[in-house]
Amino acid sequence: MKLKRTVALAAAVFAATSLNALAAGKVQVEYWSNSLSPKFDSVMKDLTGKFNASQTEIEAKWVDVPWDAFQARMVAAVASGNVPGLVNLPKPWMDQYAQSKMIVPITKQASGFKNVYTEGANKDASYDGQIYGLPWYQVTGVLFYNKDLLAKAGVKEAPKSFTELMQTARLVKEKTGVAGFAPKLNDGFTGWFLYEGLPVIKDGKAVFNSPAHVKLVEEFAAAYKAGVFPKDVFKMQFEDQIAAFGSQKIAMFAEGAHALKRTKTDSPKVYAETGVAGFPQAGGKTPFGGFLFLWSVPKGYKNVDAAVKLGKFLTSDDAQLAFAKASATFPSSNKALDDAYFQAGAKSADPVERATSVAATAIKASRTLTVSGLPDEATMNKKLDDEVQAAVTGRKSAKQALDDAAAFWNGKLASK
Amino acid sequence: MKNSSSYTAIAYLFLAPALILMGIFTFWPVGYNTYLAFNNYSIADGVATWNNFEHFKYIAQEELFHSALKNSLLYLLVVPVIQVAALVVAKLVNNKLPGMTFFRAAYYIPVITAISIAGVVWANVYKYDGMLTWLMQTLHLVPQGPDGQIDWLGNPDIALYMVMLFTFWKGIGYYMVLYLAGLQAIPAEVEEAAILDGANAWDRFWKITVPMVKPTILLCTLLSTIAAIRAFQEIIVLTRGQADTYTALYYVYDQAFRNYNFGRGAAAGLVVTFFCLMLSAIQFRFFGEKK
Repeated sequence: MKLKRTVALAAAVFAATSLNALAAGKVQVEYWSNSLSPKFDSVMKDLTGKFNASQTEIEAKWVDVPWDAFQARMVAAVASGNVPGLVNLPKPWMDQYAQSKMIVPITKQASGFKNVYTEGANKDASYDGQIYGLPWYQVTGVLFYNKDLLAKAGVKEAPKSFTELMQTARLVKEKTGVAGFAPKLNDGFTGWFLYEGLPVIKDGKAVFNSPAHVKLVEEFAAAYKAGVFPKDVFKMQFEDQIAAFGSQKIAMFAEGAHALKRTKTDSPKVYAETGVAGFPQAGGKTPFGGFLFLWSVPKGYKNVDAAVKLGKFLTSDDAQLAFAKASATFPSSNKALDDAYFQAGAKSADPVERATSVAATAIKASRTLTVSGLPDEATMNKKLDDEVQAAVTGRKSAKQALDDAAAFWNGKLASK
Repeated sequence: MKNSSSYTAIAYLFLAPALILMGIFTFWPVGYNTYLAFNNYSIADGVATWNNFEHFKYIAQEELFHSALKNSLLYLLVVPVIQVAALVVAKLVNNKLPGMTFFRAAYYIPVITAISIAGVVWANVYKYDGMLTWLMQTLHLVPQGPDGQIDWLGNPDIALYMVMLFTFWKGIGYYMVLYLAGLQAIPAEVEEAAILDGANAWDRFWKITVPMVKPTILLCTLLSTIAAIRAFQEIIVLTRGQADTYTALYYVYDQAFRNYNFGRGAAAGLVVTFFCLMLSAIQFRFFGEKK
């Protein structure tokens, strides 16, 4: 018995060392996902295993880095020259890293297969005319509404345009006393300009103080004043919106389909009363709340081709579909999006399933609404957001606020 | 028989472990940071090039940095308040009544609570329909209904003071413990003699307690000044710099980790350090031992 165990142990050690020896001859590509562990461990391990089984020369090693630590780890890695092969970045970070040359362009490597991705995703993958990322999963905003509150306000159908949405929100406030809508404002206001199709910068100058921009901000200010938006709308983050919707403090909000999973467990009654619609498109021809994650190659990584090969696998139709199913997000490749899975919930009574099918239809047009390439991004965005907040909360006129912010931006842009 | 130089050598030997660690994790980063403040630093290439004080010129004209610095200096208001309160609380818990240990522990709990968790809790206290509004409305200090709902962290006139209150709550226990140690070092005879001489509690506090804990006052004031001027964590967990709560260190963070401009971040950090040193020097003059 004892002998048997010793032999088994020796065999295991031998197997492990020979596997290591085999692996030693391979190019190891470490890749960092962004805040996926432990929830999505199984699908990530599965994908890593599948890739490794298909390769003779490359071995992928998956590492998950929490959201809060990601940027610091990335900076430290690039500064020390000890970088992973791929990093998973949301679109705004990709732009910032591309701007500071912390990731490398992969236009040449990706040119052969970039057509598998949606048009919106391919646009997001570019910075300054070069491809810096391979599009992976994405989310887009769908509109969740409390059917009960809308009915009390005399509204029978979900709003079809942004104007209708604001009118509905106002009616809900007037008839029920509940804030009608909580627009996402904690990430800044430029996204709302872009959603409306209003330019932020034109010919190297800030142009967000035109009458159309002023009108949009005034519309938000009027809604805020009337209590149509909650008082702390500028502070509301993902979790806060879900909590407010679950406790019936807001009647409508826009988020990815995954957001409602919390409502299902925390507020089953509200969940049962939840209606889902596509977030209406405006002049920007895209829903609000699109957010794409991409795989990029950090500067200093030696085996760019091997890294791109892994990226190509992770963003392939099958791999994207597997991840999307596990996470209630969406793939960014055309074929995966056409999969029957995403339309299966179109007639379902379950809000999450229905939201999934609604979003799948909208997502091909979805863009990440962000302004990049600014000379002092942190300060410029801060100034604009402070001014807009002052205008919306009624401390300043919209015109004055936008004029002040535009003057500040133009000062920075001129000294670029 | 050992001579003095071998004593010195042994002393350094004992100091070595701490010095090496501090050298690697404190002195070297501080030195390198100072170096970066005068250079354009590109992380991607790892190259730093001298830029003729460009960063300092930039932040000298940056209105956002000025208002951030103003907020950081305003934050110093928390220092005298927290020091007096901590000393008074230390005096109160420095007696042998039953149950005192409970109070000492209760005051110290916020110190050991993770700031992120405390931040979530306080965000709910400060929410416009949260606990503070509820309390004020229950006491009829503000109007009832939505009119009396104050967005404590969203109103630029009060938000910074609300964050300071959080800092006060979080820090008072820490200074209380330091003062408690200082108080317990005061010999009982001194106070007893004063009582026999007819000194009242007020006189004893100002004439005996305060002078005798002066070294602790210096230490605590220094520590809380430095903590106040580099206020950042409480801001990021409560307001993320909104509503005029943007502090100098938040600016440093934004420049370094949002813009990846480490040189400019370092320069702004150096300016904050300069203010810290200046204030420390003043405090040493006031509370330090006269030679």
